[in-house]
Amino acid sequence: MKPILTILVLFLCAILFYQCVSQKKTEYEIPSHVTKENRELFIEKCEKGKILYKLHCSGCHGIFTKGKDGVPNFTQKQIDSYHAAALIGIDPRNHAVAKKMSSDQIDQIITFLRLRKIDK
Amino acid sequence: MKFFLVILIFSATVFCLSFSLRQKKEYKSLYESALNEFKQQQNDLRKVIKQADLSNQNDKEKIKEKIKTSRSKLKAIDFWLRYFEPLAYKKINGPLPVEWETEVFEKYEPPYRRQGGGITLAELALEEETVQKDSLLALIDTSVVALQAFEADSITTQLDTYHHFFLANRLYLLNLATIYTTGFECPDTSNIIPELRLMLSSVKKIYEDFDGTFPQTALSKEYLDLYDKFMAFVNNQLPDFSLFDHFSFIKDFVNPLFRLNQQFINSYGVRTISLMDFSLENNAYSIFDKALYSPQNTKGIFSLVDDENVLAEIKKIGKLLFYDPILSGNNKRSCASCHKPTEYFTDTTLVTAFQFDDQQHLSRNTPTLLNSVFNHLVMYDGKHISLQGQAKDVIQNPVEMNSHENELIKKVLSCKEYKDAFKKFAQYTPEEKAISLTHIVSAITYYYADFSNYYSPFDNAMNNKSSLNLAEKNGFNIFMSKAQCGTCHFLPQFNGVKPPYVGSEFEVIGVPEDSSYKKLSPDKGRYAVNPAKEMMNAFRTGTVRNAGYTKPYMHNGVFQTLEQVVDLYDAGGGVGKKLKVDNQTLSTDSLKLTKDEKINLIAFIHSLDENIIFEPPPPALPISSNKELNNRKVGGEY
Repeated sequence: MKPILTILVLFLCAILFYQCVSQKKTEYEIPSHVTKENRELFIEKCEKGKILYKLHCSGCHGIFTKGKDGVPNFTQKQIDSYHAAALIGIDPRNHAVAKKMSSDQIDQIITFLRLRKIDK
Repeated sequence: MKFFLVILIFSATVFCLSFSLRQKKEYKSLYESALNEFKQQQNDLRKVIKQADLSNQNDKEKIKEKIKTSRSKLKAIDFWLRYFEPLAYKKINGPLPVEWETEVFEKYEPPYRRQGGGITLAELALEEETVQKDSLLALIDTSVVALQAFEADSITTQLDTYHHFFLANRLYLLNLATIYTTGFECPDTSNIIPELRLMLSSVKKIYEDFDGTFPQTALSKEYLDLYDKFMAFVNNQLPDFSLFDHFSFIKDFVNPLFRLNQQFINSYGVRTISLMDFSLENNAYSIFDKALYSPQNTKGIFSLVDDENVLAEIKKIGKLLFYDPILSGNNKRSCASCHKPTEYFTDTTLVTAFQFDDQQHLSRNTPTLLNSVFNHLVMYDGKHISLQGQAKDVIQNPVEMNSHENELIKKVLSCKEYKDAFKKFAQYTPEEKAISLTHIVSAITYYYADFSNYYSPFDNAMNNKSSLNLAEKNGFNIFMSKAQCGTCHFLPQFNGVKPPYVGSEFEVIGVPEDSSYKKLSPDKGRYAVNPAKEMMNAFRTGTVRNAGYTKPYMHNGVFQTLEQVVDLYDAGGGVGKKLKVDNQTLSTDSLKLTKDEKINLIAFIHSLDENIIFEPPPPALPISSNKELNNRKVGGEY
């Protein structure tokens, strides 16, 4: 009986492990008219943005824990106005990191926030 | 007795409160009354135009007179309007009927078309023979509608605190240095200095009311005393703007006032809700500090690297790459082939550089890399929005360096020195772990951008570190007045970026194909990027800095001497030289510069040549594991 139980437990663990590992990365909502090639470019950009967000923004705005994405659901308007601010020049007193970033890096973060799939 | 005391305290409190409330209102009511007065003038002007018979010279004069009074009322409120709503301001006092991409977002979105309106354009329209009443009325109507924006709560509530004041004042001081004395928005040049005087005294009133209302954050006595001297200086000057001492005006007054205002911004903890304010650096205490504004990011992907040692290493690798022909398809051309570091990062020997095939020539002159960081849009047509994007384009352009991304990276990484360095640098760019072209171009731009941090004798004179001779000073005064250079080449970079330094401008000059003026240069310029009819043959206004060392001139390198360039402007551009240019933005009248004025103007231009310390090229290039690559020469072969 015991070996069966062990196997069962192991089996369940394996399933659990697989589930965790194979859990899809953050998905992105990309409009259907975007070509396959551009879709890949967008995803690449989003992934870069995600890394930057995690490193430089999530300290204050949302947390990433155990694969769970705790990024606040910014509205499109908030994202747009932040984009404008970050590119023209931003208040260095509370967004010193964004002030330093290149326009490409800002673009990556903004794209990540824009296309991030939000569970409703 | 007690009851009496309570009543006394109560009434004293009420009295104090009402006093402070009334005080608060003083500053705001000045705004409101000035705005109303201007509005009234606009409505009156509208009536006068409506009743006028435009074929009658007397009626035209009446309109002109009314425009003049409108302008003077505008000057009383310009201080606020220009700061609060720059876009609405263009409809009230726009310099051009149609403007493209002066919007902050210009770099990242398709260009915006901005329709101008208001009194300056009405004044210009009135000069035309074919002027129609409808079009005049439309210009004023646009202005009347735009004025409503300034009554919005979002704006008037800003007047309840002190924050906006110092930022509006900063913009005002920058505009004093750049546009108010050059005739930028004043077609009748005899009005420039009288209007300036009026403006200075109107702002003095604003200062007084502000200090009364916000005594905690008042302007210092030092500032106000200097401002009084400033007004006295302007009042003692001759009213002709070409005899006005623009040099002392900026050096002795505007710039010191700017310094004091920057100190207020920092010490009073001024906060802003306007994005435009962040384009300026609060810690730049002189208009002629190169840190005043910086539109281009020079570090690219290494932007978040802070470690000085790593940055120094990136710069070192950037320098090697700048001289390394490994970046070109045939390993014979480097950045330094055309942007010769010993020739002010341009090529003074060729009209336009050779193409990749070493036979034909490119269609445009090699621009200097010096001070390119101060442009929002890069290249003569503003095709690129970042220095890194520009570098990538040139490297991969089939007629320039003709490289292919993957092959190029492979070649670069075949050199141990590069490979080790980039492996290290890539640790600092977690979003892009694999070494890419972005890493390579970012190192290059970081290297060459450093050479834009030098100052010229003119800057040093403005910062009171040295002085200029009389010819140079007179030349500057001509530059800012009669020669009209200052209306497009704005201080402090003398390029097409004007306060608040958020956009690059394009102009149509009518540059000929060859120096004999047979025909207009066929280059469409900005039109290729933004196909709008106003943009045909338009080019980005370049900097005048280092012009003495960066011949040949214009987008096609058509002129070998500064005299030829001045001659084109003096004649009234392409149109003045009998070329057919439909949309020239430069005045088509001759400037009528005298010989001496031209000599002085050129002397001034030479005072903008920066004292740059150039570095010798690297002695050798990194060794590659691919032996064929080890024959390459420092700086390339052609």
